[in-house]
Amino acid sequence: MTTQSVSEELLRLKNVRKYFGLPGAPWRQAQAVKAVDGVNFVVRKGETVGLVGESGSGKSTLARVATRLLDPTQGSVEIGGVDVTNVRGRKLRPVRRKIQMVFQDPQASLNPRQSVGTILSTPFRAQGIRPTRAQLVELLQQVGLSEEHLERYPHEFSGGQRQRIGIARALSVKPDLLVCDEPVSALDVSVQAQVLNLLADLRDELGLSYVLVAHDLAVVRQVTSRLAVMYLGTIVEEGPADQVYSAPAHPYTKALLSAVPVPEPGVERDRIVLTGDVPTPIAPPSGCPFRTRCYKVQDVCATVRPVLEPVHGSTEHRAACYFPEPPPPERTR
Amino acid sequence: MAEPVLEVHDLHVTFTTEGGLVPAVDGIDFSVAPGETLAIVGESGSGKSVSSAAVMGLLPSNAATTGEVLLDGRELIGLPNDELRKIRGNDIALVFQDALSALNPYYSVGWQVAEAYRLHHDVSKKVAHRRAVEMLDKVGIPDAARRVDSYPHEFSGGMRQRVVIAMALVNDPRVLIADEPTTALDVTVQAQIIRLLDDVQEEFGTALVLISHDLGVVAEVADDVLVMYAGRAAERGTVRDLFYRAAHPYSLGLLGAMPRVDVPPKPRLTTIPGTPPSPGSIRTGCPFQPRCAYTHLVGERCITERPELTPRPGEGDHEAACHLGRRPEALL
Repeated sequence: MTTQSVSEELLRLKNVRKYFGLPGAPWRQAQAVKAVDGVNFVVRKGETVGLVGESGSGKSTLARVATRLLDPTQGSVEIGGVDVTNVRGRKLRPVRRKIQMVFQDPQASLNPRQSVGTILSTPFRAQGIRPTRAQLVELLQQVGLSEEHLERYPHEFSGGQRQRIGIARALSVKPDLLVCDEPVSALDVSVQAQVLNLLADLRDELGLSYVLVAHDLAVVRQVTSRLAVMYLGTIVEEGPADQVYSAPAHPYTKALLSAVPVPEPGVERDRIVLTGDVPTPIAPPSGCPFRTRCYKVQDVCATVRPVLEPVHGSTEHRAACYFPEPPPPERTR
Repeated sequence: MAEPVLEVHDLHVTFTTEGGLVPAVDGIDFSVAPGETLAIVGESGSGKSVSSAAVMGLLPSNAATTGEVLLDGRELIGLPNDELRKIRGNDIALVFQDALSALNPYYSVGWQVAEAYRLHHDVSKKVAHRRAVEMLDKVGIPDAARRVDSYPHEFSGGMRQRVVIAMALVNDPRVLIADEPTTALDVTVQAQIIRLLDDVQEEFGTALVLISHDLGVVAEVADDVLVMYAGRAAERGTVRDLFYRAAHPYSLGLLGAMPRVDVPPKPRLTTIPGTPPSPGSIRTGCPFQPRCAYTHLVGERCITERPELTPRPGEGDHEAACHLGRRPEALL
């Protein structure tokens, strides 16, 4: 159970599908919401992987499958080199020691009737450990809070502090991998920067790895080393963050990046304004899921769904597109 | 510059609560001219949304509003409700953040847009319906003639926001107040809505007051910016004054705290320590003083004396409320 994987893979999702449908009757499966539709995803030790996409892209569902909060409809979940797809109940506890989750809304994910001390000791007790006060204080200090906060209740804290408590709780079992689902989207800009810096500090101090699920591409750029872009339940592009941000290959990534406003008044940017909305994940388009909104669409796009293939001469940077954007000419790599 | 259509002078909004009087807005001034966009920027509790609600006369009864709100020179504060109703939605319209709760799920979108028109125009249902189709078409609802009979739940978030904007614009208002109009939307849809607001402003010459916490959106659409902190104006000026010549430590902090998508990341974001104060908790001195990194350069005055807006170098009427008379040097 505790064998260390040679490649130091912390997480591997193999061909994961997650359909939300009505149980039982097969004729109802046609109505299933295909939230995640065939995703391969690997996180190695020391990586910070950004998982971005718009609402309905399946990024949060994928995060929940990865942390075993949801069972995949198909495919497998390996955590620390061990297949845990079919591990359930109490047997999942050793798994949870390796991978923890931080949720978007600290207001909703902290029990209002428990003191911070109780909240932080719950994960210890789930692992059969009675934490000492010193351990709890150390956790609080790791996230920039102090001993005096131990007896207080969630409502006595600001949004940013609550998110710190959520992070401290996730750190309590000393996980290798933290999956953060929109960790800063509920926070004010000035507080958001504090939490992003904290995540970076924890990565450096504790050697943590992250999966950062977010819709805000600027936030993700600040902290990630690798980026995966999701659209309608599939990963359409992935690669080293600096490569994807500076030279996106998939038309969707390019449009998405161009849509993010930049704080430089008077500077005109080449913006690709996509028309229409994301199609329903109940009946995604045939072939490429993005073809209904794509500015490069051809007949072939409606035939077979394109798979991730290396682009720009890099083995790590891959895009699922028949007509990927060319690399910029001044590219040095 | 053109004559302002909306002018606000020395606006104060005070809420009476169980905990005492809470000054949510503590003396702000702004104005906006036809075709221009003023952005009001601030974090939670800065009073930006309360200011816009005060302009519309939409505050609950425990709020006391003083000051001047002039629409084409006509004072709105103190107007009886039936007079205000003639102005709201007709001369000044409001677009909210959450389009789903701004629409009634029981009525078709066309009915709701037509109703907004009929409230201020004595026309038949048929004429109002035609007007609704025209407006929905104008805000980019595809196949508007058919979609006019759809219900809000049949629309996506971006389409709903378009319906709300159609409803706000149906009476050709002189002023449109948009309170975080794109915050709930995905970036690709946000880009569509920003372009739409830009287009309607050009076509109708509407004055736009944009309330936002997103400096990227502000940089893109605003002509002038007012930065609010704890119910007060921290800084105001043209959009270029704010982004290239920020004179208030808070504005500078906000700009530094914002991660950017278009350049490789800095090793660390600059942060503002602490959290925004709750309204009314700081009654003397500068409200930003407890979080400010420059207080030591000024001294006691920051704690004892409330800074007023004073002129700063810039393009237009660039002003900042800070005792540090010069531009703060970026720390680190």
